[in-house]
Amino acid sequence: MILSKRGASLIAPAASIGVFILLWGIISLNVSAEFLPSPLAVVKEALRLLHANIGGTSLWGHIGWSLRRVLIAFFLAILLGLPLGLYMGWNRVCEKIVSPIFEVLRPIPPIAWIPIAILWLGVAEGSKIFICFVGAFVIMILNAYTGMRYVDPLLIDAAKSFGANRTQQFFNVAVPACMPSIFAGVQNALSMAWMCVLAAEMVGARQGVGFIIIQGMDLNKPAMILVGMVLIGIIGSLLAATLRQAEKLLCPWRRELV
Amino acid sequence: MRFGNKEEYVSGREIKVSVNNLTKCYDDLLVLNDINFDIYKGEMLCIVGPTGCGKTTFLNCLSRFIPITEGSILVDGAPADPRVHNIAFVFQEVSAIPWLTVEDNIRFGLRIKRLPEEEIERRVERMLDIVGLRKYRTYFPQQLSASMEQRVVIARNFAINPDLLLMDEPYGQLDVKLRYYLEDELMRIWKELGSTVAFITHNIEEAVYLAERILILSPKPCTIREEVIVDLPRPRRYDDPEFVRIRDYVTERIKWW
Repeated sequence: MILSKRGASLIAPAASIGVFILLWGIISLNVSAEFLPSPLAVVKEALRLLHANIGGTSLWGHIGWSLRRVLIAFFLAILLGLPLGLYMGWNRVCEKIVSPIFEVLRPIPPIAWIPIAILWLGVAEGSKIFICFVGAFVIMILNAYTGMRYVDPLLIDAAKSFGANRTQQFFNVAVPACMPSIFAGVQNALSMAWMCVLAAEMVGARQGVGFIIIQGMDLNKPAMILVGMVLIGIIGSLLAATLRQAEKLLCPWRRELV
Repeated sequence: MRFGNKEEYVSGREIKVSVNNLTKCYDDLLVLNDINFDIYKGEMLCIVGPTGCGKTTFLNCLSRFIPITEGSILVDGAPADPRVHNIAFVFQEVSAIPWLTVEDNIRFGLRIKRLPEEEIERRVERMLDIVGLRKYRTYFPQQLSASMEQRVVIARNFAINPDLLLMDEPYGQLDVKLRYYLEDELMRIWKELGSTVAFITHNIEEAVYLAERILILSPKPCTIREEVIVDLPRPRRYDDPEFVRIRDYVTERIKWW
């Protein structure tokens, strides 16, 4: 039987995940369930958790809490980081003022902000959103800024030769030219926010996917920990896939690139 | 030795662009030295000179990308300004805008100039026909060949009905076959629209093929060494003895050693 190209593109990832689960199963047979639960045990645990409450909140509730924090932080990061980054790349004065501060703050990992975030914003939602925001914001600025610095000067000159003023050069040429870079930034910012939310939730949260992992550890249930981890992986890749679709819609000229 | 007759050539033509005492220095480096010439309305002017003689600086002054040190450039009697005059620029590298389709690329300059929407559509339709890209109007530049892409740029520039179209070795990076093809294409569009074109090249054959008048530049600091009027009938033939004579003459004059 000859596989169609489309069929092959679906079968390959399914096969690789299948082999991965198979290996996991084989290894788990040879070690104690405390050390590595089998895939089946994890699925059973996931099904159990679907109908049970974990710390007073359902599984979907936990996912909802995490997503809510991530999305608020993510949109705030775009709202503030994108214009700031673009303007830093566009305007020399703005670059000179902002970039020294930014260069010092940039290498501080978002997790390092946890204590100070709790001190400022308390253990409630504010500090968790803040930590996700820090992670996403830095990436957003960086990508918008780099994108702007690498805009082809030829295109700006072409616009100038038509008599475009600075505003027209910015909105008609520079910003669309940065779109691919902005989109890479948006995708990375979202994954970063998603990674940060788990770190934030592992410190003093009562809801969220990170809490499931901590709860699993406290209750000494390795299967529960793994359910949390698998959930993180699945949701993270779904978020990334959604953004990739959005990029295809918003940057149609890049569709032919692959 | 002179070709053609300047008085005869000038009579009946009005001056479109007038360059007076144009001088450009980068710090101490004198690049353009006191250049004076006129470009006539509807003229096809070729500017040739050795590599590195300041051709591009010269064009950048004309398009006002860089400030001039001394002198003036007047278009219809007023100082040249891209916001007032329609000065179009075809660069050496292809500058089609990658995120716009062929038709939107042609609209680009018209939109910047804020022309009425129906006028924009009228001109886009006309240019699509003139450069023969109607079938490809919804394609992105990346889906086109290099010569089609350069045609998009040419259409985008001709669409604004330029007072002056500046072309900086636009075919420098294309192979001979494409160059011949696009040269003929340029001649056709130029005749059809009656635009004023200043075409910079280091290819003498190309200059003699296209030009009504050739300005020969000297090496740095750049001055105008001579002007040659090419009054050969069109279409011109590369092997026509007259053509060869003019080509050899220009080649001889351009030598700076």
